Amino acid sequence: MKAPAIMERAGKEDRTGLRDAVAARVSAVIRERSAAAELISEAEILSLLNDEHLMFLDADGTGEDITVILARLVQESEDLQKLSGAGSPCHYSSYYMTEAYAQILLRKREGPLQLIAETVRQNACAYQRPVPLDIFTLPPFNLAYDKVLEYLALMAQTTGYDDIVMTSTSASGIYLYSTSHLETEHALMLAEWLDVGQAVNP
Amino acid sequence: MSGYGGWAGKVLRVDLSTGRSWTEDTIEQYKAYLGGTGIGYKVMWDEVPAGTKPYDPENRIIFAVGPLAGTGAPCNGRTAITTLWPTCWPIPLVASGHMGGQFAAKLKYAGYDAIVIQGKAARPVWLMIVDQKVEIHDARRIWGQGIRGATAAISEIMGPDAVVAAIGQAGENLVPMSVVMNAVSHSAGGIGSVMGSKNLKAIGVRGTGSIRIAGKKEDWEKLIKYHLSLLGGNNQHVVPNSPQPWAEFYDPTTRWNASRGKRWGAAGHLVDTGTCAPRETNRIAYRSNMAAFFLGDNAWKHTVRGSGCTSCPIRCHTMLKVPAVAAKYGIPAVGQNTCVGFLFGRSFFKEFTDGPKGMTALEACMVGMHLADDLGVWCNYGQLQRDFIKLYYSGVIEKKLGTREFKSYSWSKYEKGDPTFLFELLPRIAMKEGELGTVLGLGTGYMLERWGLSETEWGKDKDLAYWKMGHPKHHASEEAGQCGLLINLMYNRDSQCHSHTNFLRNGLPLPLQKKLAAEIWEAPEAVDGLGDYKPMHRSKARMAKWSLLRKELHDSLSLCNWMGPWVASPIRERGYRGDDSIESMLYKLATGDNKDREELDKVGERILLLHRALTIRGMGTKEMRLHHDKIPEWVFTDKSDKPPFTKGATHLDRNDVQVALDMFYEELGWDKATGAPTHGTYRKFGMDSVSAALSKRNLEPPA
Repeated sequence: MKAPAIMERAGKEDRTGLRDAVAARVSAVIRERSAAAELISEAEILSLLNDEHLMFLDADGTGEDITVILARLVQESEDLQKLSGAGSPCHYSSYYMTEAYAQILLRKREGPLQLIAETVRQNACAYQRPVPLDIFTLPPFNLAYDKVLEYLALMAQTTGYDDIVMTSTSASGIYLYSTSHLETEHALMLAEWLDVGQAVNP
Repeated sequence: MSGYGGWAGKVLRVDLSTGRSWTEDTIEQYKAYLGGTGIGYKVMWDEVPAGTKPYDPENRIIFAVGPLAGTGAPCNGRTAITTLWPTCWPIPLVASGHMGGQFAAKLKYAGYDAIVIQGKAARPVWLMIVDQKVEIHDARRIWGQGIRGATAAISEIMGPDAVVAAIGQAGENLVPMSVVMNAVSHSAGGIGSVMGSKNLKAIGVRGTGSIRIAGKKEDWEKLIKYHLSLLGGNNQHVVPNSPQPWAEFYDPTTRWNASRGKRWGAAGHLVDTGTCAPRETNRIAYRSNMAAFFLGDNAWKHTVRGSGCTSCPIRCHTMLKVPAVAAKYGIPAVGQNTCVGFLFGRSFFKEFTDGPKGMTALEACMVGMHLADDLGVWCNYGQLQRDFIKLYYSGVIEKKLGTREFKSYSWSKYEKGDPTFLFELLPRIAMKEGELGTVLGLGTGYMLERWGLSETEWGKDKDLAYWKMGHPKHHASEEAGQCGLLINLMYNRDSQCHSHTNFLRNGLPLPLQKKLAAEIWEAPEAVDGLGDYKPMHRSKARMAKWSLLRKELHDSLSLCNWMGPWVASPIRERGYRGDDSIESMLYKLATGDNKDREELDKVGERILLLHRALTIRGMGTKEMRLHHDKIPEWVFTDKSDKPPFTKGATHLDRNDVQVALDMFYEELGWDKATGAPTHGTYRKFGMDSVSAALSKRNLEPPA
């Protein structure tokens, strides 16, 4: 990914100063987004730098790759982190969010079906538990309840989501689990406990 | 007075028969038992002989607090109230109830670590304590009033700085299922009628003193800040219930339910809880909303704020404002409580037309709080409501009541989940009106006996959650395997122990819990995944013992066992470790008594041991394993046909449970055959006189 020629034929001293300015701006924008509980992708960073006329070319007509700038920042800073997914790589600051939270935001960028499926799988695998459908209505998922039901119906007709199962409790609570990581009897027992049993034992 | 800090130094004694009051030196008489339940058990052992009945004037009722009450230590607002328990079936035995609120601190500021009440007043009285001034006042003008009215009347006399612990009509009418309550919503169940039997309507306390901290001020402040840094949300859940930017983990079932966008909708101005990161120790009060934990978004909308005990940042009592209930039911629009107290009204109903978390459920909570917290009716940790549902839907109520009485209730309203039904039921329990009102007020054991129902059958129904001796399970085997089972065997009422469950439900993933468990209880096998129980392991017995010792320590120091212990924390940099020594650090600095964790745990063990000795003496048998530590049948059954220890099954194996008991008794130094402490164990804890008294009656196992 090459930067457009915004500041052509900059001298060597200018380049050093500009590189520092660009690095500072990129660091700041990643942290700002993270403080607002958001990721920022490489493409978004590049677009922002272009808008602010902060990219430059050397005298020979070549420019520093944004990927290189970001890689250096991730390596040299204490907090800036990179996450790679299906789309443009994303960045966040660990001062403001954990990798776990950033991963959810990354999955969100990959679409609701993937978001739901991977979240259900991760809960089943790492925590050995089904998840209430309601969790997807909360931040950072922010999906409408009816939409989640629609997505689940779509997942049932789409390959790659065969392991995602929906169950309801005696109190009509809807729970989701992955058969790849959780045995059905265990999942049903856990869902009933989480929705009903623990309320009897508050 | 000794040079110790922490303690106020005096125990107030009041004989209502003679009207005399006097004091004892706390350190001289009770230091070996700290305070709280420790003082309670000691007084019961020394002064209340076996065979005494709860309502005999010779019975004592002991309101006792500990050396940390009234200090700046977090979560120090608990008062332990010990007496002979009127709902303990088939014979009343010693037990304690625990109320939060402001009573504990005010009692200390007045100069007392405990009030021991004996005798019976000739007419209704209330006790006024203003520092050294102790007066017994005529209570005939407030007798017959609810808790709210009595509290208001006494507060008018004593002023706004006073705290009032009062009983309602249920206690006055000697309904065993009755409470004493202070500070609007902080109650201790099972005790109201013991106060009523002594013609004692209330205790008002105003204190103008303070508590001396033995250590340096800067060390104390540093320790308090450290303790605050380890706090999680309600019940020491250290993981939020939804993903938060600061959190590595989330668990939809924890009580840390703050999040950006969650608002106290009925507050005077908009209050957004925010993300409540652990480092924000000035925002701990925003982390949990217990009403919302039970009722969801509807409760957020009606939340005014959190409320709670002296020096507790958790604020587990949620204050709600529901204007609609004022016009609809004629009750105040504002109410507050937590847990089963909050759910009191809702829990009577099987269903509501608008669902389990709809507006009607919320209204049932409001009506229930209004009635129960004024009449002073106790729910026995929800057993009252579960019994009622079972009795009604199985046709027992109709069968047992005469036609006239049965028809005097609006059962169609009840079946529809109409909260107005509570106005028909709860006052009749408090007034012992009719057969149903009377029988429900007895407590489960005596209720079953009166109606010729089988306790064994009650113990087969897992959904009833009945445990033994008239009381329900309290975080038992279904969620904590063998550890939960062992803990639930020990007491003469529901166990009220949260040491184990607060760890197991803290929200951390199992591998992390196991790592911490290995550090505390010497092996990762101490904890199992929910519904994935494994056979007994020695570390589970250690965890059960530790849980009980911490409970007794908390109840004797005045720390809250609903919020502690603090052995896990929300702090990633600490590997989510809490601090197993926080109790002893606080104790040492507050009192100047240089006991470390192990030494203080031994005091907790002494207190537990005395409770066991009291139970043995009260039952008149040393065969505790056979006659006391009984297990309901539902523990061994499961809806699935799977054998125990398979995933998804929560029942336990009979032989494995016997192994668990063996290991547990061994850990405690109790005789495996009888479950009674040995002479050597009593001796180890400096309790030779207790041992001698039991031995004389053949209540000690052979050496």
